[in-house]
Amino acid sequence: MIYFQVNEKCNGCLSCVQNCPARALDSREEGGIQTLFHNMARCARCATCWRICPQHAIEFQHMLENRWDEVVAHELVRCAACGEVVHTAQLREGLDSKVRDLAEPLCVRHKMERQAGMQMGRQQPAGGVSR
Amino acid sequence: MIVGHLKSLKEIASSIAGCRQVLVLGCGGCVTVCRSGGDAEAHDLARQLAHPEHFQGIVPGLAVATIERQCENDLIKSYLKIPEDTDTILSLACGAGVQIVADVFDPLPVIPALTTTFMGGADEPGVWREKCQGCGDCLLACTAGICPLALCAKRLLNGPCGGSRAGHCEVSDDIPCAWAKIYTRLEKQGRLNLMDEFRATRDWRKAGHKGPREHRRTGIALGTAGN
Repeated sequence: MIYFQVNEKCNGCLSCVQNCPARALDSREEGGIQTLFHNMARCARCATCWRICPQHAIEFQHMLENRWDEVVAHELVRCAACGEVVHTAQLREGLDSKVRDLAEPLCVRHKMERQAGMQMGRQQPAGGVSR
Repeated sequence: MIVGHLKSLKEIASSIAGCRQVLVLGCGGCVTVCRSGGDAEAHDLARQLAHPEHFQGIVPGLAVATIERQCENDLIKSYLKIPEDTDTILSLACGAGVQIVADVFDPLPVIPALTTTFMGGADEPGVWREKCQGCGDCLLACTAGICPLALCAKRLLNGPCGGSRAGHCEVSDDIPCAWAKIYTRLEKQGRLNLMDEFRATRDWRKAGHKGPREHRRTGIALGTAGN
């Protein structure tokens, strides 16, 4: 994702590099080509570059509004009863192996229903109602 | 950073009563970090204000926007586009941001949703404390990096008062005595001699007592972007 964008008016004067207070801009020359670099981790988004550019070449709106960067993707585990997302497969893998084997993926509602059913089963002994 | 906190919902609702279309404007700077005036808080505030119980008459229409910093006139002028029917801006910025936005959109009313409280830092996650008074004549070099103007209730310059007790301020046992902290740290640094230096009465004009202060750096506005 490129946040720092310049338009075709940029003539490589490097005013932006020389005046960036965060040293977030740099230029390198190689093989007869001058390339402008921007480091988002250093950038304070102070807009000094935008203000100082004599060519009005810096498209600062991309520093204020931009698309989302995809960071990481995880496989999802869904409730065995209703299909609601419960957690990620990686989270499940991180559980202790004994717990993981016991833990059928269930949403909160179905987990509570399952537990209530098990309690009723325990309260009702085999052979009928106790006297 | 600048720290602020949200005014009460009652006060905010009362300040926009009678408005027809309000832009709730978050700020992406300091108040986002201290969790009082960023995009999340702006949306949350708009959701709460949309409830009819806060208004005797018509509930104003509420739009939400957030911009990186409300305290820069040219950025706001160039990049903050507000809905055409906006009749009031409810700003969640600090006092500086509110005033810049008010200047840019003059004469549109710009109402503060926050109270700006202090310049401070996060001592621990979620806890911001006052650190600096912006006095205009920093003395931290001789007070072991601890500001007596910000941290001493009496703003004493030459050591603790008689109310310092076992490292605490007489105002409250929950408040450390700034001068006790300064002494302890200077002792660890082997610079206790600084305690003997007399600090004369300050020139409070540098603290803003002769009118608003200005910081000017030449050369920055050469490109006059946005104009």
